[in-house]
Amino acid sequence: MAAEATGAIQGTAMEISVSKFELLRELTATQGVVERKTTIPILSNFLFEAGNDRLTITATDLDLSLRTSCAAKVKREGACTIPARKLYDYVRLLPDGEISIKLLENHWVNLRCGRSNTKMVGMARANFPGLPTFPSAGVVKIPAQTLRSMIGRTIFAISSEESRYTLNGGLMVLKPESITMVATDGHRLAHIEKQGEQFEVSGENKTLVPKKAMSEIYSLLQNSEVDAIEFAKDDSTLFFRIGERLLTSRQLTGQFPNYEAVLPRETTKSVVVHGADLNTSIQRVAQFADERSRAIRMKLDKNELKISSSSTDAGESEDSIETAYTADPMTIGFNSEYLLDFLKASNGGEVRLEFKDAQSAGQMRPDDANDDGFKYRYVVMPMRI
Amino acid sequence: MPAAHRTIFHVDMDAFFVSVEEVFDPSLKGKPVVVGGRPNERGVVSAASYAARKFGVHSAMPLRTAAKLCPQAIFVDGHPDRYREYSAKVYEVLNHFSPKLEMVSIDEAYVDMTGTERLLGPPMGAAHALHVAMKTATQLNCSIGIGTSRLVAKICSDQAKPNGVLWIMPGREAEFLAPLDVRKIPGVGKVMEKRLQDQGIHKVSDLASRDPGWLEQNFGALGIALSGKAHGLDAGAWFDGDIGEADGPRSISHEHTFSRDTADAQQLESTLARLSEMVCRRLREQKLHARTLQLKLRDSGFHTITRAHTLNEPTAIDSVVFATIRALFRANWKGEAIRLLGVHAAHFEDESEQIGLVGQGPHDKWNQALSAADRLREKYGENAVSLATGMKARFRERTHENPAGLPGKKKPS
Repeated sequence: MAAEATGAIQGTAMEISVSKFELLRELTATQGVVERKTTIPILSNFLFEAGNDRLTITATDLDLSLRTSCAAKVKREGACTIPARKLYDYVRLLPDGEISIKLLENHWVNLRCGRSNTKMVGMARANFPGLPTFPSAGVVKIPAQTLRSMIGRTIFAISSEESRYTLNGGLMVLKPESITMVATDGHRLAHIEKQGEQFEVSGENKTLVPKKAMSEIYSLLQNSEVDAIEFAKDDSTLFFRIGERLLTSRQLTGQFPNYEAVLPRETTKSVVVHGADLNTSIQRVAQFADERSRAIRMKLDKNELKISSSSTDAGESEDSIETAYTADPMTIGFNSEYLLDFLKASNGGEVRLEFKDAQSAGQMRPDDANDDGFKYRYVVMPMRI
Repeated sequence: MPAAHRTIFHVDMDAFFVSVEEVFDPSLKGKPVVVGGRPNERGVVSAASYAARKFGVHSAMPLRTAAKLCPQAIFVDGHPDRYREYSAKVYEVLNHFSPKLEMVSIDEAYVDMTGTERLLGPPMGAAHALHVAMKTATQLNCSIGIGTSRLVAKICSDQAKPNGVLWIMPGREAEFLAPLDVRKIPGVGKVMEKRLQDQGIHKVSDLASRDPGWLEQNFGALGIALSGKAHGLDAGAWFDGDIGEADGPRSISHEHTFSRDTADAQQLESTLARLSEMVCRRLREQKLHARTLQLKLRDSGFHTITRAHTLNEPTAIDSVVFATIRALFRANWKGEAIRLLGVHAAHFEDESEQIGLVGQGPHDKWNQALSAADRLREKYGENAVSLATGMKARFRERTHENPAGLPGKKKPS
C-alpha cells in the first residue's frame, strides 16, 4: 500500500510536481483533522512525504490523524511540513495545472505554478509526531454505505459534554452477522442495527468510536466510491482504511452505559404519522417554545396528534395531525430539538411514535418494514411539563 | 407612561447587625458593641454600634484594631441566621408599602413609591408610617431617603441617619448634591475620587459643571454616568434598570479566612469542600442551579487570584461543585500559604425539566440525598450533616453583607 510505503529520506531536498486538482482534492479531505487552535505549532502543519511516484499527506491533532496520498512526479524523494490552512487557501486560488513543490533551506518550501511563485515557512519534519501503524491482523471489512448510514442516524445523539467522557462517542458492536451503532447523551438514545451482513469477528466486538472520528468517516465516505472500509484496532488506536486514505483515532476508554436496559419494552400507546408532516409541525410550534428548554407538548387524542407550545415571551401555538388513534388520551412533553434531530436523520417516511406514560421514555422509529434492512429506533426521555 | 417624576425610597436599616443583636440581648443597648468575633481573633468587624463608631471602629476593620481603639467594647459573634431572618421581616414590611422593591443588601432596599400617594399619602406621611410599621414588626430603626432617583434617595438616607427621613423635593436635586464631596456619589471610590481630584473636581458641583463630552473623553462611559449622577439622575450600570427588575441574585459565594495561613493541602481542600457545600445549600434554598463556578485564592501576601469554570449543565450538587472547584484549586495552587479561600457560583438557571434515561449517572440519587440532608439541617442545624471531606474544616459562618440570596431579590417559587 502506498500509504505506508513512504520511507521518506531525511536530509534530502524533496522535489516533486503534482496536479493542482489532485492535490486540492486531498487537502480538502484532510482539512477537518488539522487542529486550528493548537498550542503545538507543528499540528497546524501537513506532513508531505514523497516517494514511489506518490505524495503522501498527513494531518493530526494527536487524537485523530488522517493520511492520504495522490499521484505525483517525484524528482527527489524526501519530506517537509507546510502550514495547512495557508497551503489550502493558496492552492485553491491557483490555476489548474501542475504545481511544483520543492523543499528549500531552513524548512522553507517553494511552490511554483504557472507564473505564480511562493515560498512558505515550514517546520522541521522531525517535529511531526509519529503515527501508529495499521495492524496486520484482525482487520474487519465493513460495507462503506452501511457504516455511513449508521453514523448519520446516530451521531447527533452523542453528548458534547466533556465531563461525560464515555458518552463522547458512539458504540459500534460487530457480530458475525450484524452491526449495531448506539449513541446517547443521557437524555435520548439512537440505536441502529443491520442484520444479514458478514463480519470476520468472533463473538462480539465492541468499540467506542469518538465523535470526531465518526464525523470524519462520514464526510470521507460522502464522495467515495469505496465499497468497504477496513477496520482494525490495537490497544490504544482505532484504524479505518478508506481506499487510499487511513484515518486513525485514539480510542475512548471507559464503560459505555448499559443501553439495552433503557430500550422501552412496554409501550402501550402508539400512532403512525408522516415524518415530513411531523417535522414541519414541530418546527412551527417550536417557534413559540421556551427558548432555553425548547419544550413542546404532544397530546394523543381521538384520531389526532396535537402538538403545542407556549412561552410567556412569544405566545402560544398548536398544530394538529390527523392519525388513527383510539386508546386513552395522554399528554407528554419533549425537547423539540431532540425530536427534530431524529426526524432530520430519518428518511421522512412514516414514523411510529410509541409511549407508555408522561414520565417514561418515548420511542420513535421508521414505520417501514424494508428500511434497507436497517432496524432504527430512537428513545427520548420526556420533560416534566 | 411613567409619572412626571418618580418617588423612590431608599430604606437603610440603622446598625442592622448590632440592632438585631440588641433585640436578642437588650442589655447591649447604648453600649459600644462590635459584631464579628472575639477581640483576639483574626477576621474583621462585621458591624459596630454607634457608640463603638465614636471610637473610630468601623466595619471591615481587623478585630484586633477595633479592640485597640475601643477596649471597653463588647465583642459578639455574628449570627447570620438571625440577620437573614430579620432581613426577611424587613422585606415583609416594605412589601406592604410597594411591590416594586429591591433588597440591595441584607439591610437596605429601594422601594419605588411612585403612584402610592392616594393610598399612603404624601412621601413624608408614608415615610412616617413606614418607620412605625418597621418598629412594630421588627423593633428596628431605619433611615429613609426620598428622591426622584435611586441615586438621590441613597445619598439622602445616608444623611438622614440615624432613624431619620430626608426628602429632596423634585427639582431641588442639583442644589442638594452640589456641596457634597464627589466621594458621596455611589460608584466613586478611592481611586475614582483621586482621579477626579487630579482634574480639580472635588465637589459634586464641580462635576456637574463639567461638559459631559469632556468627562467621557477623560473617564469613558463612566464619565457619562458621572455626569448624569451629578445631576441626580440614575445612570450607569445597574442604576439603568428598574427597581425589582433584576429578580434573583446574580451570584452566591462563601469565603473563609484561616485563623492562621496554611499550606496544608488537606486542610485547604477540606475547607473548599465545606465552602462548596455551603454554596450549594444556598443554591438549593433559592431553587437555583449555577453554570459558572469560581475559586478565589488569597495568599499570605494578599495576592488574590480567581479562576472560573463553566459547566455544560447547571448544578446545585455539592459533589459536582466541589469536584470542579478542587480541579481549579489543584491547577492553580502552587503550594504557597493561603490566607483566604472562596467559592463563588454564578450564571443561574432553573433546574432542567428534562428527565434523564434510567441509569444515566448518579444525579437523581444525589438530589434525593441532598434534599434529605437539607431537611435535617433545617431541623437540627447547619452542622447536622456534611461531606466527610469537609469535616476537618468546620468553622463558624462569618457575617457579611453578601447581596446574594436576599428576600426580595428572588421570590422562591
